[in-house]
Amino acid sequence: MTEIPETGELRAKVESISALPTVPSTLKQISSMLENSRLSVNELGSFISSDPALTSKILKMVNSAAYGFPNRISSISHAVMLLGLNVIRGLLLGVSVFDLMQKHIVGLWEHSMGCATVSRWIAQKKGIKEPEEVSVCGLLHDIGKVILLLHYPTQFDNASALAREKGITQHEAEKIHFDATHADVGSWLAMKWRFPINLVEAIGFHHQPHLSRQASLETAIVHVSDALVRAKGTVGDNYTRVPEIRPSSWELLGLSDDDVMEIFNILEETASEEAGEKECQEAY
Amino acid sequence: MRKAAPQELQPGMVLAKPVLRGTMVFLNEGAVLTESAISRIESMGIDNVFIEGKSEQPIPRDEAMALVENRFRNHDDSPVMMRVKKILSEHIEKLYD
Ligand SMILES: [Fe+2]
Ligand SMILES: [Fe+2]
Repeated sequence: MTEIPETGELRAKVESISALPTVPSTLKQISSMLENSRLSVNELGSFISSDPALTSKILKMVNSAAYGFPNRISSISHAVMLLGLNVIRGLLLGVSVFDLMQKHIVGLWEHSMGCATVSRWIAQKKGIKEPEEVSVCGLLHDIGKVILLLHYPTQFDNASALAREKGITQHEAEKIHFDATHADVGSWLAMKWRFPINLVEAIGFHHQPHLSRQASLETAIVHVSDALVRAKGTVGDNYTRVPEIRPSSWELLGLSDDDVMEIFNILEETASEEAGEKECQEAY
Repeated sequence: MRKAAPQELQPGMVLAKPVLRGTMVFLNEGAVLTESAISRIESMGIDNVFIEGKSEQPIPRDEAMALVENRFRNHDDSPVMMRVKKILSEHIEKLYD
């Protein structure tokens, strides 16, 4: 059996993300940029604008159903103005990490986009002031999986296999193989990247929403979105058992049957939309 | 909304998303397709456009339902999960109507 890294060691390793050879250089650059507490909106905007591939990925994202703006956003400066620094920081990470995601974990990109869409929809329904921030929580909630996989491929595969064999969740299996989970890893990174506390907690507690102290609503939203997206299933992943929704989170959101039906309808529509975009993208 | 290749298009179909030519909108969403619009779309060399209507499901209904049973395994004791499962089943039924 492979060694279980203890939490302190694991955290140090995860936080040294820039030292990892398997992490692409753009992501390293972005990671160190986000650690800078004085990063301004203008600096961030011009960093993105200087990279055409990054620019088009981010614009595609802000124009997707996950953000749902009625008019097309065609420039980074406009996007930054509409969405604010934290959301753009989150999207920047999202689009750069999820390239890795697509390559390594089947269906994780679709799952994350689905959670972003559903999280924003519920946040708006609940009257949260910045629904786009909650959407970013949904987008990044499983980011820890990618980082764990890159640092500890063998243990990660073992954890996934254990989850399948024993019928336990990935989250439970990770505790056995790592002493910490992808949710912990995600929250460490969110802190390192200076995300606000609601993002840190929503990512860190998305499987244990009752532990959230300062962002219980956002955390409940991501927790429930995660389960609803798993329930609907995605093209790449139709088999994973739906994680159990905590009754307290469910009650906090107070979704009606019609709301849940609407969420499934939105997921159905966006799935066919994305499948189409993927094909178009590949054609170029 | 569903995807359609230009050669599948029929007059009267409604666009669910705009058709772009470069960065310019050629036809907006909601536009009703005419013979001439279709032949222009065909000449633009795009693969697909999005039109209103149900998309074809990739798997048969029974298979989709069996997958739902599988995804909700061991959740029978949770009223919340059973409620979500019931709504999901109704959602899937409608996709196959
Ligand atoms: Fe998770
Ligand atoms: Fe998840």
